[in-house]
Amino acid sequence: MEHFKEISTEQLLYKIKNPGVKIIDIRSADAYNGWKEENEKRGGHIKGAKSLPAKWAKYIDWIEIVLSKEISPKDFLIIYGYDKIQTEKIANQFIKAGYLDISVYHCFVNEWSANEELPMEKLQKYTQLVSPVWLNELITKSSAPEYNNNKYVICHAHYRNKEDYEKGHIPGAVELDTLCLESPETWNRRSPAELKIELENLGITCDTTVILYGRFSYPDNNDPFPGSSAGHLGATRCAFIMMYAGVKDVRLLNGGLQSWIDEGFEVTSEENRRQPVIDFGNIIPSCPELAVDLPEAVEILKAINKNLVCVRSWKEFIGEVSGYNYIEKKGRIPGAIFANCGSDAYHMENYRNLDHTTREYHEIEKIWRETGITPEKFNAFYCGTGWRASEAFFNAWLMGWSNIAVFDGGWFEWSNNNYPFETGLPK
Amino acid sequence: MTINEIQDKIIEEFSLLEDGLEKYKYIINLGKSLEPLKKEYRTEENLIGGCQSEVWLKAKIKNNKIYFAADSDALITKGIIALLLRIVNNQSPGDIINCELYFINRIGLSSNLSPVRGNGLFAIINRIKTLAGNNL
Repeated sequence: MEHFKEISTEQLLYKIKNPGVKIIDIRSADAYNGWKEENEKRGGHIKGAKSLPAKWAKYIDWIEIVLSKEISPKDFLIIYGYDKIQTEKIANQFIKAGYLDISVYHCFVNEWSANEELPMEKLQKYTQLVSPVWLNELITKSSAPEYNNNKYVICHAHYRNKEDYEKGHIPGAVELDTLCLESPETWNRRSPAELKIELENLGITCDTTVILYGRFSYPDNNDPFPGSSAGHLGATRCAFIMMYAGVKDVRLLNGGLQSWIDEGFEVTSEENRRQPVIDFGNIIPSCPELAVDLPEAVEILKAINKNLVCVRSWKEFIGEVSGYNYIEKKGRIPGAIFANCGSDAYHMENYRNLDHTTREYHEIEKIWRETGITPEKFNAFYCGTGWRASEAFFNAWLMGWSNIAVFDGGWFEWSNNNYPFETGLPK
Repeated sequence: MTINEIQDKIIEEFSLLEDGLEKYKYIINLGKSLEPLKKEYRTEENLIGGCQSEVWLKAKIKNNKIYFAADSDALITKGIIALLLRIVNNQSPGDIINCELYFINRIGLSSNLSPVRGNGLFAIINRIKTLAGNNL
C-alpha cells in the first residue's frame, strides 16, 4: 500500500496556493462551520478546505460522496482533523480507494487555528446551526457555548403527524405542528394575531432561544400527505415564520433528529408540556421584510438587481409535474431563476448532505453564484408553498446574506391567481 | 432455495469482504449485472418515491411466484436492487410479505449506508411488499 506524508504548517501554507491541492477537513460539519469543538483559538476551517466528516467514512457509499464533492484521484490531498489516528485512518481509506498523492496535517489546533495570520473561514451565523452535542449540553446543563440566555424552547416540528413526536423526540422538546404557524387554506404564514397566540402557547417570547428540528422519514409523493414525513423541512419552515414574527434567536439542529440519533443520544416518547407565556413581547411581525407576497413578487421580476429564486425540482420547473397532489397547474414563473431543490417537492438533496446535515455552504454558494444568485442582489426564494424556500432562505441567512426574503405564496398562489406561466425547457 | 437460504448465502459472501470499500465494489458489480428495465416500464406508476436516485420496480406473477424487474439511474442502487431481487424473485407473494430481511443488518447495509440511501432501501422494500400484497 502507498504511504501518506505528514506536512508542516509552513509546507501547507506553501502548497495551499497550488490549484491542484484539495484540503480535506474531516471534523464534524459543525466544527467546519465554526464551532470550537476542541477549544481551538479560532473556530472554522482552513480557507478553501472541503468538508468531509470522518463520520461518513463508515458509509459503504462513502466514495460516491467523495466524488460528488469533486475530490478526484488526480488531486493532491491534504487531510486534517482534530485527531491524529482518525486523520490517518481516512488517509488510508483514500489510498485504498486509489488516491495516490496524500498528505496529513496534524497541527490544525496548535498552530493553524492559533496563528491569526493564517487564513481561515467560517459560516457567518454558525451559532444558529447547532450540533446534537451542543443541544445535549444545553438540555443537561442549561448552558452551552454561544448561548447567553436563560430561556429556551426546543420544538419537534411535524405536519399533522403527532405520532411522529410520540414515536420519539429529543427530551424536553415540545411538539409543533406546522399548521400552528401556517394556514391550510393558503399555506402561507398565519396572521399576526394568530401567530401571537400560537407562539405564546408554545412558550416563546421574542427573547426566547428556539431550537427547531424534525424527522426525515422518506416522504413519498404518492402518499396523501407527504409533508408528514418531511419533518425537518417543516422545521425550517417554522424557523422562517418565527424569524418573520420577531423571535431574535432561532436555531436549527443541523441534520434534524437523524443527527441526534447518529450521535447516540436517547429519544423519549414522554410528552413535554408546553409552558405558555403571557406576552410575546414585541410587535408581530417584527421582521415583515423577510416575507414577500404576490404584488412584490411581480415587482421583483421587473427589477434588475432582484431575483425571484425557484427552489423547486427540475420536473416542476419545466412543467412536467405540479409537485403536489393539491396543485393542479404545472409550470414555472417566467423570469424566475432555478435553484434546484432535488428530486421532488418534499426533498432537498441539493441543499443537504447524505446524513441530512446542511450541505457545505461553499458548495451552495458556488451553485447559486453560477446562476446569478449572489448576496449583492435582493433574493426572494419561493417553491410550491414555502417549505423548500424557507430552507434555502435559512441557508442564505446563515451565510450572512441580509437582502433576502421568502415569497410565501409561491407557485400555489401564483398559479391560483392565474398569473402567466411557462412550461418546457427554458430558452 | 428459500428466502432465508438465499439471505444466509449473501451473508456468507459478504463475510469475505474486508471493509466498506470492498462491499461497495461488490455491490457496484452486482449493479452492472442487473438486466436493464425496458424503457416502457420506466413510468410514473413504477417509480418509487423516497429514493435519492430514481428507481422503477414492476412485478408479474406466474404460477403463484412473483418475478420483479427493476432499474435505477444510480449504479449503487442497482446493486442493492440486484441483492434484493436475488432474494425475492421466484418466491410466493405470501413468503415475501412474511419474510424478515435480516441480511440487511447482518451485512451492515442498515448501519453503513448513508441515511438518505438507507431510506431509499426501505422504500424499495416497502414497494416490493406492497406489490406482493397486490398479487396475493
